[in-house]
Amino acid sequence: MNEQALITDAQNGNLDAFNTLILHYQDSVFNTALRILGDEDKAADAAQEAFISAFKNISSFRGGSFKAWLMRTVTNACYDELRRQKRRPTTPLEPDTGDGDEMDSPRWLADPSMTPDQQAEADEVEHAIQHCLDNLPVEFKTVVVMADIQGMDYTEVAVAVRVPLGTIKSRLARARLRLRECLQGFAELLPASYRLDERSAA
Amino acid sequence: MNQRDVELLSAYLDGQLSPSDSARLESRIRSEPELDSVLDDLRAARALLRKLPKRRAPRNFTLTRKMVGLAPPLPRAYPAFRFATTLATLLFFITFGVNTLAPQFTSLAPAFGMGGGGEPEVFSVQEAPAQDAAPAAEAATEAPLESASSLVPEVTALPPAEDSARVIDTPAAKSGEVGNAESEDQTQIASESPSPAPVVPSGWMIIFAAVALLGSILMAVMRRSSANRWK
Repeated sequence: MNEQALITDAQNGNLDAFNTLILHYQDSVFNTALRILGDEDKAADAAQEAFISAFKNISSFRGGSFKAWLMRTVTNACYDELRRQKRRPTTPLEPDTGDGDEMDSPRWLADPSMTPDQQAEADEVEHAIQHCLDNLPVEFKTVVVMADIQGMDYTEVAVAVRVPLGTIKSRLARARLRLRECLQGFAELLPASYRLDERSAA
Repeated sequence: MNQRDVELLSAYLDGQLSPSDSARLESRIRSEPELDSVLDDLRAARALLRKLPKRRAPRNFTLTRKMVGLAPPLPRAYPAFRFATTLATLLFFITFGVNTLAPQFTSLAPAFGMGGGGEPEVFSVQEAPAQDAAPAAEAATEAPLESASSLVPEVTALPPAEDSARVIDTPAAKSGEVGNAESEDQTQIASESPSPAPVVPSGWMIIFAAVALLGSILMAVMRRSSANRWK
């Protein structure tokens, strides 16, 4: 994929070229939105909004990392969604087990390649991490999602969030520490392979 | 250990420190167990985040032209048609307005001027008998001469001679009927007066209307065919 050529075509109004870029980046964009918002449906809506907005404003892209530029768009879409949630708080409709309890591992999150035990294990870890992410201030969460989950470098994150590099370093360090503290509360819930064993994790 | 140390450790973990800063921090880590412990915490948190499963997008987010508000590309001739249609519509309404309003202005103009023309005088004919209807007997002797002298100029202007004669001859005797008779006369006069010719020939209005209609139809066809081609 010749990204620069596709971007140029998209800037000239070629929607097919932009759709090729979407297919390449849609998983990253969706995952970022999912980890920031913590809700699959809202993340899908935010991703869609972000791509629409990105196409309409693609003329403002002046080069550099297209992924970082795209992440800025999805971050804005997520912030908009969070602001909407703040104005109109709603009760999440988690799947119900039938006896009034919420289901921890929704069926649609299941990965068919895993055994039920592995799936349960992965779900536990994911839920624990998502819970801790949700407890972070949104500006910390955005930085840690981009740097540690999306694997973006500091410069890209700085472009995406539009804050200085020093602020990125500071937010990332504090977010990691807070996550560590939060996840320690789930230590006994996490399976052995996911324990916060720093030596093996490194 | 302060916040600055935590930031250094986090940046060190990501390889974001310069070689000299890295070397300095490594020596501190060896001598300060607390730094080593925090570094392990940061590393563990980062490792756990990296283990988060990457979810696939639940659907394709590709865009349609409708979603981004793109209109189908129209033929190059489309703007010319649009201009011609707009112009023809505008001209049609202007000519229509001119032809409708111009005669009214031309007929009203004298009434506000010298008081000339037929109509004001005719009103006097209408009103005179109505006012004199009650004292019919006195008017019977005086009216013929006066009214005859005052009405002569205008009555001669009226086409039917016998009607004017009747107006002159019988104002007192038929005072009750005079009003009606005069009204009928006026209606007749109005209907017989020639209607003014339109300022703009009506043929132009038809041409403008036809161009506007044809242009609108062609533009609609162009839009439809462009939309169909795009699907």
